Amino acid sequence: MNEKELEIAENIKGMLSKNLRIPAEELDYEVPLFGDGIGLDSVDSLEIISCIDASYNVDMTGVDKEHFYNITSLTKYVVANM
Amino acid sequence: MNKTVNTRCVVTGLGLISAIGNDVNECWENALAGKSGIKKVTSVDDTNCYANLGAEVSCDTLDVDDLSKEVDRVSKLCLKASREAMKDAAYEIAADEASRVGVIMGSCVGGVVSIENYVTKGGKTEDINRMSISQIATHVANAVGAKGVITNVGNACAAGTISIAYACELIRAGVADAFIVGGADAFASVPYSGFLALHALSENPCSPFNHSNGITLGEGSGALVVESYEHAMKRGAKIYCDVLSAGISSDAHHITAPRTDGVGQMYAIRTAIKNSGITPADIDYINAHGTGTGKNDQAEFLSLHTIFDEETDKLSVSSTKAMVGHCLGAAGAIEAVFAVKALTENKIPPTVGYTEEDLAALPEKAGKIDFMPNEMKEKELNYVMSNSFAFGGSNASIIFSKKPGDVKETETDEKIYVTGMGIVSPLGNGVANYIEKATSGASMETASGIANVGKEDYDKFDVKMAFYRKLDKFSLMQVISGLEAMQSAGIEVTEDNTESLGMIVGTGDGPITTVYEFQEAISAQGNANGSAFNFPNTVYNAAGGYLSIKNGMRGYNVTVTSGAQAGLSAVCYAYNELKQNRASAMMASGTDENSEVMTKLYNQLGLTTDAKKSAYDGGNGFNLSDGSTTIVLEKESYAKEHGAKLYAEVAGYGMAHANIGIGDLAGSEEALVSAMNQALEAAGVKASDIDCVFGFANGNAMVDDMEKKGLAALFEDMPVIEVKDIVGEARAAAATLSAGHAALTLAGELGTSQKGYVFKNDATIEKATINTENFKNVLAIAYAQGGTYSAVVLKKAE
Repeated sequence: MNEKELEIAENIKGMLSKNLRIPAEELDYEVPLFGDGIGLDSVDSLEIISCIDASYNVDMTGVDKEHFYNITSLTKYVVANM
Repeated sequence: MNKTVNTRCVVTGLGLISAIGNDVNECWENALAGKSGIKKVTSVDDTNCYANLGAEVSCDTLDVDDLSKEVDRVSKLCLKASREAMKDAAYEIAADEASRVGVIMGSCVGGVVSIENYVTKGGKTEDINRMSISQIATHVANAVGAKGVITNVGNACAAGTISIAYACELIRAGVADAFIVGGADAFASVPYSGFLALHALSENPCSPFNHSNGITLGEGSGALVVESYEHAMKRGAKIYCDVLSAGISSDAHHITAPRTDGVGQMYAIRTAIKNSGITPADIDYINAHGTGTGKNDQAEFLSLHTIFDEETDKLSVSSTKAMVGHCLGAAGAIEAVFAVKALTENKIPPTVGYTEEDLAALPEKAGKIDFMPNEMKEKELNYVMSNSFAFGGSNASIIFSKKPGDVKETETDEKIYVTGMGIVSPLGNGVANYIEKATSGASMETASGIANVGKEDYDKFDVKMAFYRKLDKFSLMQVISGLEAMQSAGIEVTEDNTESLGMIVGTGDGPITTVYEFQEAISAQGNANGSAFNFPNTVYNAAGGYLSIKNGMRGYNVTVTSGAQAGLSAVCYAYNELKQNRASAMMASGTDENSEVMTKLYNQLGLTTDAKKSAYDGGNGFNLSDGSTTIVLEKESYAKEHGAKLYAEVAGYGMAHANIGIGDLAGSEEALVSAMNQALEAAGVKASDIDCVFGFANGNAMVDDMEKKGLAALFEDMPVIEVKDIVGEARAAAATLSAGHAALTLAGELGTSQKGYVFKNDATIEKATINTENFKNVLAIAYAQGGTYSAVVLKKAE
């Protein structure tokens, strides 16, 4: 990741930790967020969409699941759609 | 041995206010005409919100008297409907029967409009006592002069239905003769913003069983006078119909979404039918939950088709939410009034909003069931059902009938025992820790107590991060005390016993901290930016819902909120469910939270103090704290079947209320004495048989004086043990703990003597060391501001 991507990834990590109460030590940029990883669900994805929209003005409503896979994929989507 | 308890319960009065009318007749005529009350919202800010429709009440006579001017909008709505119901029933409560008349009201968000007012309009003290659901039934009780069981059901969108069911249970238990029941909720920013965040609001008027693309919120209140047939006949009341039986269950699945397999809903529906002594083929009309969300409608289609398709060709189903919106905790009550009107007038209100195209698509989804599109129908009706399903996986189904019916409810003569316990407190968590602290004379170190739940607790009960991170502190405390209690009782939840395991959660303030913080956030960021993550925790039954999700219990699951005494009233409620054979084992919990928000609110009310207080210290103020206490109650046969330890027998209970002001206690001693006398009578013991009282004194003179007055009325010299000397004013958690501590004492777990007090009937009270070795019968008591009391007699286990 370049500097800008790292900044966004770190910001998303902070948001996941603060808004979704995921302990920061459980989060790295690659850990799967849904399913057997961190175990997020559809309500959490609404919160992620809302926060990314508020922070970057990027609307992820209806976006494919693969972009929600981990912090890296979320970051890439944000960068590509800013 | 079981005996039949089929006391006829009849509906004798109806009251209603909703977006389509300000009384029953106006609402009913508009419902039959298919008139929708859904319009663009006016009472909340819809800036940047993708959906802006609502079904708001338009009524300029909500402030008809001084009482109505002083209450939250939710209570204004409830008072309006309740007064109409009492007038319709031509019922004025005589002073000599007031203790046999109760009020049970359901609500989802309670006084959330006052929370918004507090946050946005300068933090006025007058708004604080209007915030909780707890106040709603109290206002109604004071308006009509009811002094019996006064409580509120906090099971979100099933609350209104459960309130009717609980009232009938208590009438059949012989605890009361009559109730004003129902539910109320006001249109407010928190639910509007929360459902927006969940993308659960429809952009267009909600379209149940049709487009199913979201709900439209509404507001209002429904009220019913329900009384025993004998009571109704004695006073020459007109009778609308009988209330047969109900079914209440928990999905144990997800905090907001219903089970896709409909298992929880179907258990509730089937239980209601079975216990009513009828068959599915007898049901003529169902006022469905029918919210109009995809998930609800899909699950409800499945449940209805599965239960009824093979049994009947004549079933009609409609959702009146298409006209009055989803009124949350009022929904079940409003729909019960519609169901009773349908039954008695043989007219079924429609589900509105179908286009020609929709009508063409309906038969495939509807099958044999008539989903009543657009037009009312006249049809001979004998049995009607009303269903409500809610956040937290709460399900309720109830049946109204033109005929007396053949209700199959029973009551056991088995003894009920305390078999397990769980404690979360500012002194640490776990019963072993509590015993250690209590026997070593420990108490809170500071004047404000905060319990902590953390890694040690999660590891001990295998609570994973994906689960616990969802919960606010209120729910976390409840889950940990509940899991410990079940573990200590040695009960494992299996597919065979899951529906016979239930819980009653009592709370005074519920999740007010979370609601307040949600309101603060949307006040700053706008209603379009509510948190989908936090919103599910704003409902009072989230804590009980999470606990059922974690331990898989699918039985009776109700949250009651009636001030600090709710924790002991939960023990009374759970005991009743076991006696009436709705469960084999029940958890009874009391949970209340301390936080920056709660400390601020209690400080502003002048109820707290920075000084460390003990009972009977005198002066104003107590030490606010928090926690969760759960005790497990089991029927004797079930406890013996799995070799449970018997801590103590719960032998009887009493509940009473005095018609004094909200936030007051002065003048309420008659209610305390009434609750204690009822408990003694139910347990078959005399005041002179009681060895010790486990009290509610908290160091605030107003509270402690009331305890002394109550004791003076019944007892000569009496040992008194005060749990709040140990855990502080933990409100509902302390109320349950008074019974839990009593059970530990009777079981000998707290040694042979304890620090306490001796009350003398010259109204003095002295510190003393109490010898507890020979205790046989003890009394636990609890109070709530506003003069509501519970009392429970516990006996040494044989």
